[in-house]
Amino acid sequence: MKRREFLKFGTAGVASSMLGSLGLLTWVPRAHAITINKTYYITDGFVAQVDGQDVYFRGFSNSSGTLNMPAEPIIAQQGDTLNITIINTLGTTHSFVIDGIVDSGSIAGGASKTVSFTVNNAGSYLFYDKLNAPYNRLSGLHGGFAVMPSGSSNELYSGSATFVQQYFWVTNDVDPVWHEAIRVGNTPSTPFTPRYFTINGRNMRVPGHPEYTNTDRDSGYATDTRLVGSVGDRTLIRIQNVGLCRHSVHFHANHVEWLAVNGSPRPQVWKKDTLNLPNNKGSLDVIYPFEAPPDAWPPVSTGHFPMHFHDEMTQTAGGGFYQFGLATTIEFK
Amino acid sequence: MFKLKELVQMRNRGGGGTTSSGGGMGGGACYTYPDAPATIGRVTPDVSFNRGIYMNGSVQMDDGNSVRVWGFTDGGGGMGGMGGQFPSPAIRVTEGQIVHTNLTVNGMMWLHTIHHHGIEPSTENDGVGHYSFDVDGTYTYQWKAAHAGTYFYHCHTNTVLHAEMGMYGALIIDPPEGAGTLFSGGPDYDVEAIWACDEFDSSWHNLPWDAGTCGADVGLNKLDPDYFLITGVDGAQSAATNPAVAVTMSQQQTLLVRYINAGYLAQRIDFGGLEVEIHMSDGRALPQPETVTEIQSVSAERYDCIIKPQNTGVYTVTIEYLDWVTDEVIGTAQTRITVT
Ligand SMILES: [Cu+2]
Ligand SMILES: [Cu+2]
Repeated sequence: MKRREFLKFGTAGVASSMLGSLGLLTWVPRAHAITINKTYYITDGFVAQVDGQDVYFRGFSNSSGTLNMPAEPIIAQQGDTLNITIINTLGTTHSFVIDGIVDSGSIAGGASKTVSFTVNNAGSYLFYDKLNAPYNRLSGLHGGFAVMPSGSSNELYSGSATFVQQYFWVTNDVDPVWHEAIRVGNTPSTPFTPRYFTINGRNMRVPGHPEYTNTDRDSGYATDTRLVGSVGDRTLIRIQNVGLCRHSVHFHANHVEWLAVNGSPRPQVWKKDTLNLPNNKGSLDVIYPFEAPPDAWPPVSTGHFPMHFHDEMTQTAGGGFYQFGLATTIEFK
Repeated sequence: MFKLKELVQMRNRGGGGTTSSGGGMGGGACYTYPDAPATIGRVTPDVSFNRGIYMNGSVQMDDGNSVRVWGFTDGGGGMGGMGGQFPSPAIRVTEGQIVHTNLTVNGMMWLHTIHHHGIEPSTENDGVGHYSFDVDGTYTYQWKAAHAGTYFYHCHTNTVLHAEMGMYGALIIDPPEGAGTLFSGGPDYDVEAIWACDEFDSSWHNLPWDAGTCGADVGLNKLDPDYFLITGVDGAQSAATNPAVAVTMSQQQTLLVRYINAGYLAQRIDFGGLEVEIHMSDGRALPQPETVTEIQSVSAERYDCIIKPQNTGVYTVTIEYLDWVTDEVIGTAQTRITVT
């Protein structure tokens, strides 16, 4: 594998990190299907963790000079045709796959390929590199893919409960020993021991830490993870777990409406404060209703609350550093 | 014990503490937010509870070992002197009540909070340290019990460690009809069991309260449990017969099991062949009850299960604790429902 200078993200003086996506998903419904063209560059680099450790990642990036991890999500509408071009800037072989929809097959190092496909079923999907499973996927080659119902701006699937804004949360469990093995072209051989837990590529910072409020670094402030709304701003969250661990997702201040698991609509919509997120590409679709917190006395309509995983090992970084794990902030403004 | 002056110095750094990367060597707390402000909009409550802290409890295991636990005392003002009950004493209120939970913590020794899990109050009363404060003195959490159901309360300071150390207790909201009815319009019950199922990694149980907070690698990313408990009782043998856990009922009676996943691992609870109707989860009624014979849960989920036995007999209930990567069973706990 050809080695070159790695991109390095997350430390002062280096190019701004491109962790995560570009913010809140925006969507305007259309009367007609269209063709969407998108190019991703497979790149790699190191991302500095909160305890100072540099961890190797790969991504489907927006340019050859960035590392987007996860990739910028795609949002389409039923009937749309997508032309996705993958330019592999690395020396290793990769692929672009959406289960049940498209599989690019192998894209050799230095090569590129365009896949074309039409999307028919509304819902939440993951695109990822299926080769060398699960390692290429875990290394960061993944992103969210949403299909909106035809002509709809506010449903997960036709007839579902409605929302006014939507987010993708892609979660991962990071074992730096595995990532280093992947970097040098080996198959990881040690027991999987995750030490960092990420939501859209980042983890949490708290008051007193120099990166607190840094939207590039702090998952509590990053615009693609932080839930912001006023009372009534019902919010769809498409949660995709690329990692190897099953998790518990816990929301403060509101119960969520649980619409779907692993892409299947639930026959009954339950209201839950804690949900079972399956591993290995498991998914949940939920609506955070942004209702006034029901148990507040006196009543309130503003505040800041966490969403965090409740299998609390995920709330650590590097074996300690409680509060620097997989979490974000829910802001009632 | 802690060197008090050093601790105060660390905490006066505005929460920052040692941030110098690479795993500080411990010694002092970082990223804590000690405070005990007046409760905003404080009113006279309908019901109140006082909670203090104990840090020197122990649980006797079936293999003869004793494992250290921490928890909340009933009565408050505790200086950590005496051990207390595990799990911590329940908080039980009636829907519609305004509740005060008065937590007293000796902030010179350690910091803690109470988060009422599933209860959704204001930010100041939610008990999450880095969004509000870790209690240093006495703070009154004020909240309104809006929805009947099964909840639990737990500490939310260095939570990964403190909740694992046992700092939790049941929180039940009865409907206005009172105990005996699950929620208004919901099922009635004659016998009630609260099963908070948890696992211990005893290698974590000698750590100090602030372990890892400054970045030291203290292994809190890796839970390797060796004990599996039901409501504070070892599920290896004792929980099968311990009267605080095991159920004895007549065939004419209706049993409510309030099942709480109080651990970190996913669990599968099998009711030994009994059919159970799930009527609520996480303090909310299901649109339609579901009839099952086993439930898979993850950390902090609750399920309210109505059981109307068709036959007499002894039913062995098994909780399996599942590896978070493989879903393999890595431990079990058992209790019994005896129907006469
Ligand atoms: Cu605590
Ligand atoms: Cu909780």
